[in-house]
Amino acid sequence: MAEPILEIRHISKSFDTIQALDDVSLDLYPGEIHALMGENGAGKSTLIKVMTGVYHADEGEMLLDGKPIRVGNSVEAQAYGIAAIYQEPMIYPDLNVAENIFITHRSRGPIVNWRKMHQDAEKILAKLDVKLNVREPARGLTLAAQQTIEIAKAISLHVRVLIMDEPTASLSAHEVEQLFKLTRSLRDQGVSILFISHRMEEVFEIADRVTIFRDGRWISTLPRAEITRERAIHDMVGRKIEEFFAKSKGQRGELLMSVRGLSKENVFSDVSFDVYRGEVLGFAGLVGSRRTDVGLALFGVEPADSGEIILDGKVERIRCPEQALRVGVAYMTEDRRQIGLTMPMSITSNVTLPMLHQYLSRIGLIQRRGEEATAEHYRERLSIRTPSVRQPVAMLSGGNQQKVMLSKWLNTRPQILILDEPTRGIDVGAKAEVHQIINELAAQGLGIILISSDMPEIIAMSDRILVMREGRQMGIFPREEATQEIILAAAMGQDGDTAEAL
Amino acid sequence: MMERLKRYFRPEQLRELSLVFLIALIFLFFGTQIEGYFSPRIFNRVTSDVAIIAVVAIGETLVLLTRNFDLSVGSIVGLTAFAVGKLLTFHPDMLPIVALLSAIGLGAALGLLNGLLVSFGRVPSIIVTLGTMAIYRSTLVAYPAGTKNVVTNDLPQWILDLGRVQLFSIGEFNIRPVVAGALVMFVIFQLVTSYLRFGRRLYAIGSNPEAARIGGLPSERIVLSAFILCGAMAGLGGFMFLVRYGDLTPAAAQGMELQVIAAAVVGGVSTNGGSGTMIGALLGALMINLLQQSLLRWLVISDFWVDALLGMLILVAVTIDAVIINRLRNIWSQRGLETSPVDEKKMIEEESPDA
Repeated sequence: MAEPILEIRHISKSFDTIQALDDVSLDLYPGEIHALMGENGAGKSTLIKVMTGVYHADEGEMLLDGKPIRVGNSVEAQAYGIAAIYQEPMIYPDLNVAENIFITHRSRGPIVNWRKMHQDAEKILAKLDVKLNVREPARGLTLAAQQTIEIAKAISLHVRVLIMDEPTASLSAHEVEQLFKLTRSLRDQGVSILFISHRMEEVFEIADRVTIFRDGRWISTLPRAEITRERAIHDMVGRKIEEFFAKSKGQRGELLMSVRGLSKENVFSDVSFDVYRGEVLGFAGLVGSRRTDVGLALFGVEPADSGEIILDGKVERIRCPEQALRVGVAYMTEDRRQIGLTMPMSITSNVTLPMLHQYLSRIGLIQRRGEEATAEHYRERLSIRTPSVRQPVAMLSGGNQQKVMLSKWLNTRPQILILDEPTRGIDVGAKAEVHQIINELAAQGLGIILISSDMPEIIAMSDRILVMREGRQMGIFPREEATQEIILAAAMGQDGDTAEAL
Repeated sequence: MMERLKRYFRPEQLRELSLVFLIALIFLFFGTQIEGYFSPRIFNRVTSDVAIIAVVAIGETLVLLTRNFDLSVGSIVGLTAFAVGKLLTFHPDMLPIVALLSAIGLGAALGLLNGLLVSFGRVPSIIVTLGTMAIYRSTLVAYPAGTKNVVTNDLPQWILDLGRVQLFSIGEFNIRPVVAGALVMFVIFQLVTSYLRFGRRLYAIGSNPEAARIGGLPSERIVLSAFILCGAMAGLGGFMFLVRYGDLTPAAAQGMELQVIAAAVVGGVSTNGGSGTMIGALLGALMINLLQQSLLRWLVISDFWVDALLGMLILVAVTIDAVIINRLRNIWSQRGLETSPVDEKKMIEEESPDA
């Protein structure tokens, strides 16, 4: 084999206490498609960002043609011939196709020669065997066409290492096939491609070599011929189990909610499950599995198009969050900073916000005392560590912010609480506390839907686990049957047991 | 046939065509309503006023394209008109070209301040220029020396002539220097926005700021340049304002920023950046000013309603933009990718592994 184009040597990168990359090494050869696989949080995205200069590695180095390089930002990465294409293409909708390809070029002079630019763009697209009207604005082109523009842009910049980050996630089968054709023709021209995908069958179809990461560490790199599904899954799972409060085997109470055939066009389809009192129903799946969208539909933020939600034997059409709260459904978002909490406001104000109408005096003024009593109640119950409930939530640690967010939704007195990634980005101690709270809530008779990307967490905490993949329900597995291998296999689309195992 | 049409006409051009049509309609309608509407006198009035608004709107469009606002242009017009007026009052011998360049230079300097605060201070442009709008206006009031106002009698003769002479005439209709100046600026910036890399990058930044940043475009410098040019054009507008009116109070050109933004928006320049043309801004300025001037002379409705009608016009324009143009755009482009045929049958089999 030829010399590698890019060598990644012992790269480490951490954020606060989280080690995102731990001593990772990888070689990329000219003319190979190198697939990178791993669960959510395995460090794939961090590696891309280090390679393109968005992040800077704490340790380690990158060698281009054997010489060490320092990539300070995306412009420098481009100059070295390293470019990335993301799931959502970075397109200028108002510019035409040719301009999109050439707008960032530095060598084309200050005056735009439209005719030459159109010709050059046509030449590049012809090389890719693609027909697109180069004079047409990029607005309104399909995602696949936009991705092609990005590939054409990369080629025009003489890219040597092309990173493709889940490029197929939103494409149709036909478009995937075309993308693969393009990818192969690039490879045959000597480009080194780092291909990231969650779809096992795609990786097996296109990759020459497959590298697997787990927990920010390199696990294995094997040629396509030597890797099997079983081997890949084996390498991806097996994260070490941190300290868990495993779900205490509670008494399953009466049926709270039945969901039948819930669908939303182009998002998810035919999702059906039951939630019982005192039970934790886990939602497992990889990025793009649309678990959050199901949560948002149940809470009425993005209502479903069809299907039934049955609560207390009555079919409810949940069209907005207010209505969801009235029928006893609450949803805690995964994005605590942007939409979960109002950072500059106090703990008290955050907790009472959805139920503010209950804290009004007769003439409609907010009664501070009542609000603070509620906040104090939750502070004690969930042991929120703060000098005062008047503290702005921005001052709290991630774990305590998470508890404030929990208090806010518990205060709406829900029957069903949907928790979306409740332990993301908080430290181990706080994580254990949140797990304990979930256990207590279930014991008190709530039905809990736990959406989590943390495989050991979801297995330890759930009574049953619903696995989703790209908007489809792959099966519901009872706790006794669920292993990391089975869940991951289902989440990645391996033909598994998709029967409803209730 | 339809495909052909689609290729030659884009929704944006349809909008410009419909503006031309509307302007003609307004023109014909008021021709039947107002006596002597087609006289050279009214023609000169309208074209001189449109010239000023158009020049400032051209600058504003550069800023709007980058997804920013410049609310201070009215104050820059007032301040430069006032400052140059005072300058000429005290130095009547100053060469006309020096007076013109100092107006443009002062405007550019004021634009530079806006631009620095926006692109390097990272303050939202609407806030920055709201602040500088008030500051520039107050500077004008506080401008020292002599009387508060600029008076025609104190100005040198050439500047008064500049507003009246005809450069050339078409039949009875005169083309004045300010109008010619505006047309020259229009041509220059139409070329800048369609043939210079700088111009195209204005569109790119407004179209997708995140992509511009990741793609390595020097966004800060480009936005700064847009603000400087916008200030310079407002400075030129200030000079034209002085030429046109002569007598100035500290309230000169107050509220012009709204007229200018209205002109650009009616002309199809998006406040979300990335789309709009100079011809659109020019047509917008023409339409708004023509309507304004005509309504003021139309005895059927009271002056008080003129602003309300203009406001409605802006809302209608923006709504049309949101509803119709976007729909048209969808009809125009819903194109996928065409490559040489792939074996469809094989793909369908591969697509449904879990069926």
